Amino acid sequence: MSEVVLEKVSRNFGNFAAVADVDLRVNQGEFVTLLGPSGCGKTTTLRMVAGLEPNSGGRISIGSEVVSDAGRGIFVPSERRRLGMVFQSYAIWPHMSVFENVAYPLRVRRCPNAEIQEAVARTLRLVEMERFADRPAPALSGGQQQRVAIARALVFEPKVLLLDEPLSNLDAKLRLQMGDEFRAIQKRLGMTTLYVTHDQSEAMALSDRVVVMDRGRIQQIGAPEEIYRFPASRTVAAFFGTPNLLDAEVKACTRIDGRRVRLDVVGQGWGGRCEAAHEARPGQAVTVMVRPEDARIASAGSDAGDQELRWSGRIAHSTFRGATRSIVVQTDNGQLNVDMSAFDAHAIGDNVNVVVSQRAAWAVPRGDVTA
Amino acid sequence: MALSVDDRVGEVGKAPVAAGLQVRLRRLQTGPTSRATALVVLVAVLGFLSVYPLSMLLYGSLHSTPPGMAGTFNLDGYQQVLTPESLLTLLNTIGISFAKTIPSVVLAVMLAWILARTDTPFRGTLEVLVTLPFFIPPILTAMAWGMLGNPQVGLLNQLYQWITGSTDSPINVYSYGGVVWHMMQYSVPFLFLLIVDAFRAMDPSLEEAARMCGASRWRTFRTVTLQLMLPALTSGAILSFIRGIENFESPLFFGTPAGIRVITTEIYDSINQRSPPQYQYATAASFVIMALLFLIVLLQWRLLRGRSFVTVSGKGYSPGVIKLGSWRWATFSFCVLFFVVTVVLPLGQLLIGSFFKFFGFYEWDMLTLDHYRNVFGSSEFWRGFRNTMLLGLIGATLTMVLGGAVAYISVRTKWRGRSLIDAMAWLPWMMPGIVLGVGFLWGFALLPHAIPIYGTIWALLLAYISLGTPLSVRVMSSAYAQLSYDLEECSRVHGASWLQTMWRIIIALAWPSFAVGWVLVFFGIMRELSASVLLYSVGSEVLSVVLLKLWANGNAEQVSVIGLMMMALVILFRWVQLRLLRPRVGAL
Repeated sequence: MSEVVLEKVSRNFGNFAAVADVDLRVNQGEFVTLLGPSGCGKTTTLRMVAGLEPNSGGRISIGSEVVSDAGRGIFVPSERRRLGMVFQSYAIWPHMSVFENVAYPLRVRRCPNAEIQEAVARTLRLVEMERFADRPAPALSGGQQQRVAIARALVFEPKVLLLDEPLSNLDAKLRLQMGDEFRAIQKRLGMTTLYVTHDQSEAMALSDRVVVMDRGRIQQIGAPEEIYRFPASRTVAAFFGTPNLLDAEVKACTRIDGRRVRLDVVGQGWGGRCEAAHEARPGQAVTVMVRPEDARIASAGSDAGDQELRWSGRIAHSTFRGATRSIVVQTDNGQLNVDMSAFDAHAIGDNVNVVVSQRAAWAVPRGDVTA
Repeated sequence: MALSVDDRVGEVGKAPVAAGLQVRLRRLQTGPTSRATALVVLVAVLGFLSVYPLSMLLYGSLHSTPPGMAGTFNLDGYQQVLTPESLLTLLNTIGISFAKTIPSVVLAVMLAWILARTDTPFRGTLEVLVTLPFFIPPILTAMAWGMLGNPQVGLLNQLYQWITGSTDSPINVYSYGGVVWHMMQYSVPFLFLLIVDAFRAMDPSLEEAARMCGASRWRTFRTVTLQLMLPALTSGAILSFIRGIENFESPLFFGTPAGIRVITTEIYDSINQRSPPQYQYATAASFVIMALLFLIVLLQWRLLRGRSFVTVSGKGYSPGVIKLGSWRWATFSFCVLFFVVTVVLPLGQLLIGSFFKFFGFYEWDMLTLDHYRNVFGSSEFWRGFRNTMLLGLIGATLTMVLGGAVAYISVRTKWRGRSLIDAMAWLPWMMPGIVLGVGFLWGFALLPHAIPIYGTIWALLLAYISLGTPLSVRVMSSAYAQLSYDLEECSRVHGASWLQTMWRIIIALAWPSFAVGWVLVFFGIMRELSASVLLYSVGSEVLSVVLLKLWANGNAEQVSVIGLMMMALVILFRWVQLRLLRPRVGAL
């Protein structure tokens, strides 16, 4: 009943399409994240759902109600859409106390005072800010402001919650903690949530489903794991981490199951098997993605197993990162990144092999060179 | 902005015909119509306040007879402007403005540096004192200096003679020097207010980097500090130059008696002091001075194009304060001296002048309270006082409401036509009070008889609103610009309508700026002389006009009494502004 549906939604600024033909269904109680680089149209999409920006095409419905339909000229203003929203800047009104900030959505709806007292106290308790009710809003730290912003968005129990990069102004440690707390509250209250971020790890940790956007278009929709392991395109593959992307040509193709196929591919000086989503004709060009954490370093001359791909090269850089060590190996196919245990010792200049399991190699069509 | 929309407009969508009707109804009720109404009203109001007097200037400059009389159209007015004497007047105007701008910039930079970047004691207090002269109506200090520096009986000359025993009078304010000196008392604090924040907010690491590269303190000041300040300084200097050309009081009081003519006093004289009044010439001269100011503004835009006005980001720097050692008492004395000369001396003169029977003769047996009795018993004074207060209260309020509406539309909406109303509101900024006065003189005279504005107090009110609008728009624009859009949008998303948001968020957050602007506009109305003196008539005199008349009749003693009370009012308002509003608004 309170799902959010976007049908062919687009937004043009003159000739520039900020958002083009976005189709998305956020189910009741689901946590969906719009992810993409800055300028990809994710915030514009969220603002169109909020009614802060008119959509120049398509239709948006919240629950059973069409809130904007460009074709029929329907546009329900923000205040009638019954949403909760957390802004990137938090938008805590500096002239009000914490209590008044949170009470605002109830006050403008003319709730009785006793009810307001009760609801605000309850919501502040939820975000553990009840001790700060009488503080003037400017006297809060970033994390506290964020909690107040969340409390304000929750206080009148909206069916749909919108969040625009709510964690981006916090330091790394607080970001993790607030993210987890927020996800817990969201699950408990079962609110439909649309979340915008450019931070991939945040998106993966919090969401039921992730929507990857680029240049105003949806690139892929799926569960975090699915998007990370089985990207649909080179753009999506390149967006998470620093994957190795290797050009190759298809030799043969066999179907594994309903969802995946196995490809025999040959690149420059290497060859083997990998997996892909769609069948490919022999001779077709593909890009094979290998995640640094799936690769390992073997000593030079060692043979690859039957189920493995192998490249030989020389260690060019080694960077200690604490939990892992990032190694860059110079091969004939360019530089390959490998993440390995921090305390395995390899010297720069060593001749080594980079080895990866065939099941961890994923091929995407090379057709799109947008990345 | 949509003000009222049917909550369930979407559900009606099931019946297409009904939906179409609903949509059309909704469009009629909200967005485009109310938007168009608001724009049309604003364009009409601003058009009457700025475009109308401007076009009347052009009309009047071509019209051979005074306003309201049948006449022909010719170019006689412009021919008179092009005579050698008039061109000399124009050069005089520009020369005097130059002569006062350059030393003012030097003094203002010194004061700004001392108060923003050194450890001079009592900097906070000094800053308030040093900027105080800017808020005192120029007519008051002009009259006070007319008494202080009078070549025959001036207090300063008397002091000099008493100390040295000679009979010389070294000081004569009725001279070029007097005009420039009086202008400087205003342009120094004006420039100081414009540039001090740039000094204060500058990132000290930029200077420290120069020091680390081996530059001396003085070299750092020259090559880094001053260079970074240059955009702010240039635009400040150009503004000050423009104000010098517009200035009316200084040349009226100190120039005219000495035969020094500038363009503003020339306009005033040809309408008010010559018989018959030469309206066409005065109007043509007004038009020429406006064109000149327009050129200067264009020049300013060219100069500053692509250079940021602000050399610093919004980060909370605490600028490096330079330790001056014992020199800090020298800088302290310098600031105090400036305050004494620009405020204490004139104030003291008014105080002394108000208690002695005749100005210039200061003997114990001449002490009297007669002047106070006369002033308070004079119906003319009370009428002027009432008019000034009434015009100040109503004028400042209306100006700020108008400015607030214009600024809201130009800063916070994307309406078509918002730049038009912004430009219209800015237009009076280029018109000196006397020029606007001439424009309205024609404008009111040519209105149909059913609208009797000419010669009433409403004429003054309209002129004041017109003169104050550019300032009010600027104040409110910067207030709105500081409010992030999120604050407004957040309120809408959480269920507040446009009106509720306006009231509970925008006005609740912007009112301190509104109040600051209000006080500034009020100050402006209280000090206004040049437009008032053209537009007043019997019954609608304001205090500044009453003062001018008394002064012209040689009644310097009553002038002192009224001047003192206006001073007290200024100091009271300034105190309120600093005490109550400063904590709420970042910069005053």
